[in-house]
Amino acid sequence: MPGQLEVRGLTKRFSPQVTVGPLSFEVMEGEFFSLLGPSGCGKTTTLRCIAGFEEPSEGSVLLGGHRLDGRPPHRRDVGLVFQTYALFPHLTVFDNIAFGLRLRKAGKPEIERRVGQMLELVDLPNLAERYPSQLSGGQQQRVAIARSLVLEPSLLLFDEPLSNLDLKLRIQMRYELRDLQRRLGKTAVYVTHDQTEALALSDRIAVLSQGRIEQIGTPNEIYESPASAFVADFIGSSNLLRASVRGQNGGDTTLETEHGLVLTLPRVADVSGATVTLLLRPERFQVAAIGEGDQIGANRFRARVRDVTYMGEDLHLRVLALEKQPLLVSIKNSKGTRAIVPGVAIELAIDPEDIHILRR
Amino acid sequence: MEGGRPSPYWPLFVGPYGAYLLLFLVLPFVNVALLSVYLHSPTKIAVAEFTGTNYAKLWEVYYATLFLRTLRLSLLVTIGCAVLGYPLAYVLARSTSRVMTLGLLLLVMPLLVSTVIRVFGWLVILGSEGLVNQGLRLLGVRESVRLLYTEGAVILGLVQQTLPFMVLPVMAAVERIPLSLEEAARNLGASWAQMFVRTILPLSLPGLVSGSLLVFSVSMSAFITPALMGGRRVRMVGQQIYEEVLTAYDWPGAASLTIVLSVSMLALVALALWATGRRARPKRAR
Repeated sequence: MPGQLEVRGLTKRFSPQVTVGPLSFEVMEGEFFSLLGPSGCGKTTTLRCIAGFEEPSEGSVLLGGHRLDGRPPHRRDVGLVFQTYALFPHLTVFDNIAFGLRLRKAGKPEIERRVGQMLELVDLPNLAERYPSQLSGGQQQRVAIARSLVLEPSLLLFDEPLSNLDLKLRIQMRYELRDLQRRLGKTAVYVTHDQTEALALSDRIAVLSQGRIEQIGTPNEIYESPASAFVADFIGSSNLLRASVRGQNGGDTTLETEHGLVLTLPRVADVSGATVTLLLRPERFQVAAIGEGDQIGANRFRARVRDVTYMGEDLHLRVLALEKQPLLVSIKNSKGTRAIVPGVAIELAIDPEDIHILRR
Repeated sequence: MEGGRPSPYWPLFVGPYGAYLLLFLVLPFVNVALLSVYLHSPTKIAVAEFTGTNYAKLWEVYYATLFLRTLRLSLLVTIGCAVLGYPLAYVLARSTSRVMTLGLLLLVMPLLVSTVIRVFGWLVILGSEGLVNQGLRLLGVRESVRLLYTEGAVILGLVQQTLPFMVLPVMAAVERIPLSLEEAARNLGASWAQMFVRTILPLSLPGLVSGSLLVFSVSMSAFITPALMGGRRVRMVGQQIYEEVLTAYDWPGAASLTIVLSVSMLALVALALWATGRRARPKRAR
């Protein structure tokens, strides 16, 4: 498989204190794989090692079974789309896209044909003679993508390509990028610090923190069953509660948070006596006004609303459960939620299935 | 720049220097221009009678050779500075800020020493009993080699003096080129050399042109260096003007030389700026 990427024990030491890796992961042919993490987590370093702009201290990178490390950046068959687009300001859109083809000594008719195809593909057929400075951010981004795609690389690398666009355009380009990648079946490695972007685009995500992989999984796995408190906290918003096991009886385990909230979960293997971290996603709470809570399920308790952030589609509440346990709660905005204002008492419930115990 | 409208008080800002230039550059220059068409007199500065002889004289072989030599040496100095200065400017522009500061300091340091003293240093090194010849003698060379009063010596001295004028503008131009452009070119399949020729060189060309113009102008009008290091053999226009005034007492002759030198240099600078301006400005697509 020409587009299959394998990273084995990749390590980059900048100084004894600052080290990335060892990292190991595999990206399948045609897969959209994201490296997600906060700045300084090593995601860009990893990308630059694959592209050949950093020399790894240890480990190897294989593309389609061939070792890439040691090869200079211009002999890697890897396309890189930059955060700043890095278009050549002295060349027209046409010449920017033709740059790589000319280096490969392609004939004039072939260049015209392939650049034309690319301009169609990224929906910019009329802008061939413009200079980059005459294009909008979104158009520049598309030229940058076309410039890499025209060379038909086995692997496409993206270094936070959407972070310089405004929100609306970013979401639109996200769809376009995804469509394009699916249509062409190209393997893609995408670096971002934006969790929504990673969740929306990726087949699989590797979450990085301080030079280490915290978890690799599908967006669903990463969100629903994070492997660590870091992942849970980084992806989406979350309530992370320290809790100790009160007892196990029958099929249930009862836990009490450090602020005295008692929660019941289906029985979990040997956690007796231990302190654990619980993850409760804000949107998984069910909310009812006092007295109307009969129909909502288990783990029911009272809470007082401290403040309400109006987000349009959603309302984000900060509440105090049982007058001492702070919680984040997110609910859909609807007619019924108008009564929820600071100071009001509400009833919350959470399904035992929606309470996750984090091992780390 | 958009919205870069000058303050309504702009005359206050440019006025003092404008007045200074008018008084000490424009007026004297007009005076020189007038002198150049006045009649030569052995007893007065000039006789206020219009004549073309001062310019006609410049077609003589002596003066034509002098101008061609000045032009040739200045071009060689410019090429020398470009060859030596461009790589240095590139490396400095791409190094860490500490190295850059140190490099700039070393580069500009010679400018803090007066030209006369620097040239004197060269005399000590290149003279018939100088360091180089002493070294050669130690290696067994009997006869001392003449290094001073050659075109090579003049070029050497001028290159050393004008190098900062080449390095600084090129460095500024390279610094403005984002590193990501280099990486993008490499990523698209360019070897380092191909990347350099296709991105760095065209994008830093305006800097190279400004640097070349500076070096060229300074060389064309150089006086002390050719006079002391070239002597009578390698005479350049600057020295000739000096001698026309002080030795031959021919003010109109000196004035005509000055005018030809200034006008040809202005024309050259204008041409170079126009040519690079056209390249640098992308054509508006409509």
